[in-house]
Amino acid sequence: MPSTSDFLMLSATLFTVGLIGVILRRNMITVLMCIELMLNAVNINLVTFSHMLGSLEGQIFTIFVITVAAGEAAVGLAIIIQLYRLKSSINVDDARNLNG
Amino acid sequence: MTGLLTVVLFLPIAGAILLVFLPKDIPGPIKGGGLLVSLLTFLASLAIVGRFHDGIGGFQLVESHAWIPQWGINYTVGVYGISLWLVLLTTLLTPVVILASWNSIHKHPKEYVISMLVMESAMIGAFLAMDLVLFYVFFELMLLPMYLIIGVWGGKNRIYAAIKFFLFTIAGSLLMLLGIIYLGFQQVHLTAGGVPTFEITQLYGLSLPPHIQTILFFAFALAFAIKVPLFPLHTWLPDAHVEAPTGGSIILAGVMLKMGTYGFLRFVLPFFPDASIHYAPLLICLSVIGIIYGALVAWVQPDMKKLVAYSSVSHLGFCVMGIFAINQASIEGSILQMVNHGLSTGALFLLVGVVYERRHTRMLADYGGIARTMPVYTVFFVIAMLSSVGLPGLNGFVGEFLILAGSFQTHPGYATVAAIGVILAAIYLLWLIQAVFFGPITKDENRSIPDIAWNEIAAVVPLIIMIVWIGIHPNTFLRRMEPSVQQLLATVRGEQPEKVMTASLAAAATRSPVAQTLLSVRSGARMRGRQGLSVGVQGPKGAQTEVSVLRVTR
Amino acid sequence: MTWADTLLLLPELIAATGASILLIVPVLGGRARGHMAKWAMLALMAVTALAVIGSTYAVAGVQQTPTFRAMFAVDAFSVFFKLLFVVVIALVTLLSEDFLSEERYSTWEYYSLLAFALCGMMFMASGVSLITIYIGLELLALSSYILAGYYKNHEESTEAAMKYFILGTVSSAILLYGISLIYGVCGSMRLSTIAAALSTMLSNDALMFGIMLLAAGLCFKIAAVPFHVWTPDVYVGAPTPISAFLSTGSKAAAFAVFARVFYVAFPAFHLDWSNVLAAIAALSMIVGNLAAITQTNVKRMLAYSSISHAGYSLLGIIAMNEMGLRGILIYTMVYVFANLGIWATILMLRRHAYAGESVEDFRGLHKRAPFAAFSMVVFLLSLGGIPPTAGFIGKYFLFAAAVQAGFGWLAIVAVVMSAVSMFYYLRLVVAMYLEEGSGAETIYSPSLRFVTALSLTVTLVVGFIPELPIRQVIESSSHLVGRVVQR
Repeated sequence: MPSTSDFLMLSATLFTVGLIGVILRRNMITVLMCIELMLNAVNINLVTFSHMLGSLEGQIFTIFVITVAAGEAAVGLAIIIQLYRLKSSINVDDARNLNG
Repeated sequence: MTGLLTVVLFLPIAGAILLVFLPKDIPGPIKGGGLLVSLLTFLASLAIVGRFHDGIGGFQLVESHAWIPQWGINYTVGVYGISLWLVLLTTLLTPVVILASWNSIHKHPKEYVISMLVMESAMIGAFLAMDLVLFYVFFELMLLPMYLIIGVWGGKNRIYAAIKFFLFTIAGSLLMLLGIIYLGFQQVHLTAGGVPTFEITQLYGLSLPPHIQTILFFAFALAFAIKVPLFPLHTWLPDAHVEAPTGGSIILAGVMLKMGTYGFLRFVLPFFPDASIHYAPLLICLSVIGIIYGALVAWVQPDMKKLVAYSSVSHLGFCVMGIFAINQASIEGSILQMVNHGLSTGALFLLVGVVYERRHTRMLADYGGIARTMPVYTVFFVIAMLSSVGLPGLNGFVGEFLILAGSFQTHPGYATVAAIGVILAAIYLLWLIQAVFFGPITKDENRSIPDIAWNEIAAVVPLIIMIVWIGIHPNTFLRRMEPSVQQLLATVRGEQPEKVMTASLAAAATRSPVAQTLLSVRSGARMRGRQGLSVGVQGPKGAQTEVSVLRVTR
Repeated sequence: MTWADTLLLLPELIAATGASILLIVPVLGGRARGHMAKWAMLALMAVTALAVIGSTYAVAGVQQTPTFRAMFAVDAFSVFFKLLFVVVIALVTLLSEDFLSEERYSTWEYYSLLAFALCGMMFMASGVSLITIYIGLELLALSSYILAGYYKNHEESTEAAMKYFILGTVSSAILLYGISLIYGVCGSMRLSTIAAALSTMLSNDALMFGIMLLAAGLCFKIAAVPFHVWTPDVYVGAPTPISAFLSTGSKAAAFAVFARVFYVAFPAFHLDWSNVLAAIAALSMIVGNLAAITQTNVKRMLAYSSISHAGYSLLGIIAMNEMGLRGILIYTMVYVFANLGIWATILMLRRHAYAGESVEDFRGLHKRAPFAAFSMVVFLLSLGGIPPTAGFIGKYFLFAAAVQAGFGWLAIVAVVMSAVSMFYYLRLVVAMYLEEGSGAETIYSPSLRFVTALSLTVTLVVGFIPELPIRQVIESSSHLVGRVVQR
């Protein structure tokens, strides 16, 4: 039976992988998936703590986070599609009109 | 009449607001209206002198209303010996400026007059404010009209000069704001009252620990040193003067620079006496460098306006030196010299503007021998110049003499060097006169310059009258500032005012033989000053009680 | 949950219902009447404002009434911010009018998204549990992503939306991770329970890490360095009224959360986090102002200036005293109105979707539009903190708070940077008043005029008669301050 700290380590690892992916990957779809990974890492954290503390709040929050993640995915994909229509590319590096 | 100070303070701004509603295309009535407002302000300010009690060292005609009561910030104004003449100088110079620009400002005359009036209010406000935050508000309010005056109506490089002026001043004043806030909250710590106070009469009584004094001293001194301007912070001044229109230069040199010296007297010395005494040699050294440096640079200027601008650096060096010599004679001399400088430099800038209007050049080389074509003009110019040089009988002499006599007691070495500055001033100003007015006429354009016009005469005559008056009868002016200066010194030294005065005068009389003259000049003032003192101003706390008495009676 | 509780939710309910209705109208055949959308939106704002005011009477006398299991509170603090939000959204609606009609994008959906954003902001202001705050934040953020990309046929707008989306979602994930750690340590999401738990606790790494991650997420929303990289690109790329909204409303909401969370939940560990935040604030002021100097594009300049203002406002949180909290409230208000006024002028100058941007466009403006030029000067002075404008009052509070809390060095940085900021604000004044030549043409519609006039009035009134707004602010914040003093 894995302990609480094992779950927390798993969550931290997933979160870090997601963060690194967002920074390094150039494909918008991959970036979006990395963001989902980060959110789900948080979910693991919340559920673990909820279990540990015996409080329901964390699990309730998890459901909210899943819902919000779905909304984010929808908006994100819409933006990606629009970008693809305009530029025929979903590479982050191709979005260079704004010199930042 | 209560509310006299408020009337003087807001009359110009009220006039400016009325002018906003006038149509743009009637320059005559606009300038006339501005002149009328500024003359009314001047008359009202004469009433201040009328109601001013000679013998009192504390604040008079005090008015106080809550402004931001939650934070102890009040609208409190009052006048005392040190600010009285500076207020008068402001109200005198504003109509002079409007008259002087009667024919020279063609672009946006309405905005010009409005800027001048707003500036007048701001300057009067800064002189009268007894609340630090209120002072700061007026201090900053001055910036924008001046910025516009330089930037809109200035010469070729006006934008650069305007921005430089603005940034220099604001950099210093923002640090001062921090100092003000810190000071206000010191009071909270010391009295545990909860609400900070910014009323200067209450802050005068604070005795801050030395390290805090040092920090705050530099926060305030930097702001004022930039404004004066003290060497090496003076670099904005020549640019601003050269680019500013004549009226702007007069106000800038005549009044705005005095904010710096006045700030030293009103805030730095009484708030941070230990730090002031400790760092006085540093400031005196800088001001002496400024005196000599300004004079030498002025000497080699080919441009008349730049010459006068650098002479300002030199003259204001005297004022700062007098302030930090910290004795009765030198400080009175400083205050008088502030007024003198406003009058004589104001007149010089005005007169340089007169020939510039006619010839559109300010180069010394383009003139020569115009005394023959412009005799009336020459007379005025020579009087203003001699006043600036410090000829006995004119105002400049009294001020510089008191400063030097006072400084000799405390810093004889620096005073000697500074005295060289007086000689240099004579050299470069006489050189200017020689080059412009005498000798053969070398340029044909100079044969037919029209002499000074009616509006210009009307502008310059009041200045000349004041120059002569102060020169001949300085007691009118010294008498009223004496008790306040005594009180200031008592605050700084923690001594009784009586002792201070006698000690400094006795010292002046014994050490330097020339100071005998001084005594004779001021003996009348001293007697009357004593009588006033018997009314009962004692030490720094005296100011507080007196103010409260005034409030009750009102 | 009782009827009274529901009544407290009334403003949010109205905003959400209104937003939904606005969304449905075009489906029901309202698309043709695009110009009606503005009036519908303004009416919705008016009703919401009334509901906000009404909700204060529902809690009359009670300073704080947490309801819904202590997740949502209607108190004077939230009412202050909610009214501010409603006014901001109403003004953004007015700013958007010409812009939308010119570009022929659908209006109903646009306003619907704005109303949803308002709903999210109001939840942020009222949230006393991290769950509520997060939901409100996401509702605001999702609406903002779409609005930033509303010009879907412009590459710049879509790119701005993409950048905003990626960085925004990452930052909210970071914030969420911080929340989960705080939850793990304290055992609750409710701010007051967190505070109670922390008061008996020693500093520990997991908690500090959680607080730092939460702060990082919020710093992204307020655009503080080093979480600021999105700001210039998004402000330039997004439709101009949306840039105006992001730099005012969205930031104000983030500050409401920032203030409430840190003042209510974390005062116990002030010593631990204040130095980190102080560094962020100092960096924001320095980087923001120095970068703004080099910009020639006005929108980018405003973006960097808004970064620096995030730094100033942070002073109020770092100081952790009553002066600081009041400073945040008043500074947010002052900043919002000055900024809206400036954006209104930029909108006035546009020639097509992305004009009115370079400093040259402002040349000689005082001849073509004297009122706009004058107001612009007042707004710029207010941002610079020059008396007698409102900005001075705001900065006075924040500087005083920092000095009082012993962060003298930070106050000095702030003051020096204020002086630096005047340099680039003056560039616009110079262009408008001192430089000759013709800049962009102006289209000064009544709506823009109204926004300018209202912002000008607020900026001057707060500057000249600060007593009233200050009293309001004290009323709105005293119950949060009380907790700080207790501890």
